[in-house]
Amino acid sequence: MELETEADGKLEAEVQTETIMEMEREVKTQTEGESVERDPESDTRTGEVKRERETEPVLVCVSGSTPLLWRSADLRLVRERMGIVGTLVGSLARQPRQNCRLGRPLQLQLEEARLLKDTGRAVLVKGAESECDDDRVNVEVEESYTKHLQHSYEEQGRLALEEKKRVLQRVMTERFRDEALTDQPIRERLSSLKSSFSFPRSAMMVQLCTARARLGYAPVERDWLAADWTLPRDNKQEVRYRVYQDLRQQGYYITSAGKFGGDYLIYPGDPLRFHAHFIAVCVPIKSESPISDFLCLARLGANVKKTILLCSPSETESEGVIYTSIQWSGMV
Amino acid sequence: MERVGGSAEESGDVAETEGSGAGASGTEGDIPGNWILQHHKYRELMALDVGDTAQVYAAFLVYLDLLEERRWQEVTSRGSAELQLVYLEGRESESQPRQLIVPLPGQRSLSHQGVRSLLSQPGSDGAPSPSLLLAAVAPDSTLAYYRFSRGFVVPEPPDSIQALECGRERRKRRRL
Repeated sequence: MELETEADGKLEAEVQTETIMEMEREVKTQTEGESVERDPESDTRTGEVKRERETEPVLVCVSGSTPLLWRSADLRLVRERMGIVGTLVGSLARQPRQNCRLGRPLQLQLEEARLLKDTGRAVLVKGAESECDDDRVNVEVEESYTKHLQHSYEEQGRLALEEKKRVLQRVMTERFRDEALTDQPIRERLSSLKSSFSFPRSAMMVQLCTARARLGYAPVERDWLAADWTLPRDNKQEVRYRVYQDLRQQGYYITSAGKFGGDYLIYPGDPLRFHAHFIAVCVPIKSESPISDFLCLARLGANVKKTILLCSPSETESEGVIYTSIQWSGMV
Repeated sequence: MERVGGSAEESGDVAETEGSGAGASGTEGDIPGNWILQHHKYRELMALDVGDTAQVYAAFLVYLDLLEERRWQEVTSRGSAELQLVYLEGRESESQPRQLIVPLPGQRSLSHQGVRSLLSQPGSDGAPSPSLLLAAVAPDSTLAYYRFSRGFVVPEPPDSIQALECGRERRKRRRL
């Protein structure tokens, strides 16, 4: 039951974020700062632009030590082309005080960022830190933003009112053109529209800027901005990365398994379409654990209807990664 | 879970105290207090001369559980010199294939490599089995069985999907 609602909730969240992403893409083409100008009359040009975007590396912004993806096109690209899922961690502008449905940025696991970097599909860039901690300046920024939001709200309200008027007028002219029926109720509605109309605050569209217009993202600038950020390379990270690489190569989709007490959740396809089959636990092949630990894992797996997968990179390169499944026996 | 009382390490002590108790009461009949130590199967397992007392004792408890409680068929024991333990093979019922059961005391530690070497043990037909049952024996003699298999074993679908499939099957049958 819990699994179903989780999947449903996620599906809705994704649909909503998809819609938001679509909307924002329409609105934000100017602010994306693409170096190639869009010529809507020439289809081949747009096709070229699209192909260029798909082959050029995505920008992973490292905030502190957390790798983030901001642009909707990049999120889509890494998910569709590389099977990298990540986790959405941003507040939604119109539904801020909840964490059931979240938006951009997409937070990547260290292994995901490393895979993108190693395969040349991404460039890691140090994210912009807040330049000034001065409270005064922050208050000013906040005030100007609130003013901007208010202005946008009023304008949207005006546009919505006009749109509604247009709709009612169209209904009047179309429906009552040939008929003798009176269009009195609609006329009344039209006349009282201005006074009775209210544009709810929650329906307001809020534009979120996730790219700078001026920054060209040309290769030279990208390389200059690239961080020397190196991922922590202790033994545990190495084991996790090797397992991640191998599973990804086999075509599985991988997300974090914090809720389940393991390292990764393994899906046979996109997490929107499938329940997870396995909880992966990455251990070095020779490290010993008490048998009670294995029993804990197996019990956990039995409770959530997933198989526990013990994953260890082999010490011989040829064998890759060794997998062993642990399941409850079913013997009561 | 059958509770047979006493831990393997204290088996010597248990024998002494139980023996004296039985002797004193005299109402238990002729069953000696240290009956486990005198059981022919236990002696047979000890005679294999692999594994420490704790592991042999664990194997014996699992043997009794499989035969007496779960009514498994053709339960046989075997010793592995390289792994230094006693393990069992048996069949859940006549229609089921033979399985490998590895009894281990719960306090033992195991590595992934250790699990793999257990899995590589040849069965009665000579080939290593794809999975084994690990029987973990707790100090209070509680038994827990878990299955280790090579590779990826897809789990059962969640209840809601199973219900859906059952419903579909029933509807199909009704139409036919």
